Amino acid sequence: MAAKLNSMWRTLKRIWQLWMFYAKLDLLLLISDVRLALIYFSSELLTSIGSVIGLLLLAQRFDGIGTWTLNHLYVLLGYSTLVLGILNTFFNYNLSLISRRIGRGQLDHVLVQPQPLWMIFITEGFAPLSGLMGLIPGILLFAWGLIGLGVSLDLGWWALLVLNLFASGTIMMSFNYIWGSLAFVAPRSSEEISSSASRLLDQLKVYPLDGLGGLLLGSLMTVAPVGLVAWYPVRALLGLNSSAWSIWITPLAALFMLGIALFCFLKGLGYYATTGSQRYSSLGHRS
Amino acid sequence: MVENGLGQRANIRRDTWTRRLAKYAKTASMAASGYIGDSPLFMFDYLMRVLRVLVLLSIWRIVLSEEGASGLSLQAVLTYTLISEVFFSQLNPRTSMEDAFWQGTIAGRMAQPLGLFEQFTSETVGRWFFEWCCFSIPLVLISPLLGVNVLPASLGAGLLFIVSLLLAVSVGLALEYIFCALLVIWQLPLWVMLQIRSAFITLLSGAMLPLAFLPDLIGEIFSWLPFASMASAPLQIYVGAGNTLLLVLLQVFWSVLLWPLAHWLWFKGREGMISYGG
Repeated sequence: MAAKLNSMWRTLKRIWQLWMFYAKLDLLLLISDVRLALIYFSSELLTSIGSVIGLLLLAQRFDGIGTWTLNHLYVLLGYSTLVLGILNTFFNYNLSLISRRIGRGQLDHVLVQPQPLWMIFITEGFAPLSGLMGLIPGILLFAWGLIGLGVSLDLGWWALLVLNLFASGTIMMSFNYIWGSLAFVAPRSSEEISSSASRLLDQLKVYPLDGLGGLLLGSLMTVAPVGLVAWYPVRALLGLNSSAWSIWITPLAALFMLGIALFCFLKGLGYYATTGSQRYSSLGHRS
Repeated sequence: MVENGLGQRANIRRDTWTRRLAKYAKTASMAASGYIGDSPLFMFDYLMRVLRVLVLLSIWRIVLSEEGASGLSLQAVLTYTLISEVFFSQLNPRTSMEDAFWQGTIAGRMAQPLGLFEQFTSETVGRWFFEWCCFSIPLVLISPLLGVNVLPASLGAGLLFIVSLLLAVSVGLALEYIFCALLVIWQLPLWVMLQIRSAFITLLSGAMLPLAFLPDLIGEIFSWLPFASMASAPLQIYVGAGNTLLLVLLQVFWSVLLWPLAHWLWFKGREGMISYGG
């Protein structure tokens, strides 16, 4: 037991060390060129604002959308921005768009490192400074909405918020990895499949899906789980769902999707072990 | 003798034009067929667009009553939304020039026996044909199932829409080349700028939300910008809203202003062009 605890402690310590290391690299990258750093910061900020501003202006004009009041929508938009901001902070440098790394033969760069693959995946994309500007609008919108709603929130609610944010991010990542695993089989044509998958969730995640028909809504909760990225967890967190159990739906769905993603990725990795990357063959597409 | 000379020259000119058009058509057809080989993920993006239009239609039905708002009825807004998606690529024309910067293939493009603008425009138009067949026409065909009337407000509106759409493409392409030229001149990071552009262009152009639905002053300001000539103008004409003459004149104005600017910026910037790699 003590040995197990000790090993777990060492793993956590290693993850922390690697996060600090990549945070330092991120800082060095930004301070190496102030102009570039300013462009990155402003672009992150503008992109985050740009992804929600349309719906925000529409909601402003019509004083909400259906049952969603303005403050509800601020929370929804803030939450959806936060999910993407968190992913961009922890899984930058194409870690969330895994098909790019696989398709370009960059997975080999990871496989030769003296670290377990999973540890590299959760640490190498850590870019706290680059991702910061994507988080700020999300935090502000979320806080603004909560203050406007005037609800009293206890520690349990905040814990559920963190759990659901984590679950929503896991769902987005899993969706990208499920599709991205295709790049093991077809590296050239599937190189951008994770970005297409990500775009699908990213563009639709800001909308309240209440008025959709059963079939479409069902598809957006399962096959293309747009609803689980922001709409459903926010409904549950704000108490807009009648069932108290609804708060657990997104975390459970995240576990399920993570399982599928792991299966697809490991299956693809097994295949990759027998073929390797075309990039490094004499007739490779990028040789 | 003189007549002969003139006739010959006219023949040569005709020949040059037909040859040129043939080259444009060939480039366009290569781009259209290349879709299947090079970008098999196009279906993913089409799926996303179908879902997006379904979500937007449902939001309009929630937000608006039958009478609509700001002079647009609910049915007009639904038509506006669907037609915006049907002509999405024409209302926001994007060439593969940025990609050529990124891949480093722009250098090879400059050596080809066609102007840069002509090459990239022909390719873009070629891809449109593919998209019309695989996405736009099917979307129009299923529109009754979505409860949307896709017919224009009147025959005149339909005809004027065609003119306005051509002008919208003209303004959009000019802005695309200006954007690319500025990337070169200011040596801006490509993907970062593309991200910002994508985030704002659909809002500024009125492709997603009719500008009339934006808060008063914002909508008014946006409607005078060149981006509004890319999407808002033809879509308003299609659904019979807005001052048609003013909208078309504004499109002509921006088109006449922006194309010389695009050419000038390319002339100034091409010497400093650095491609990003391969």
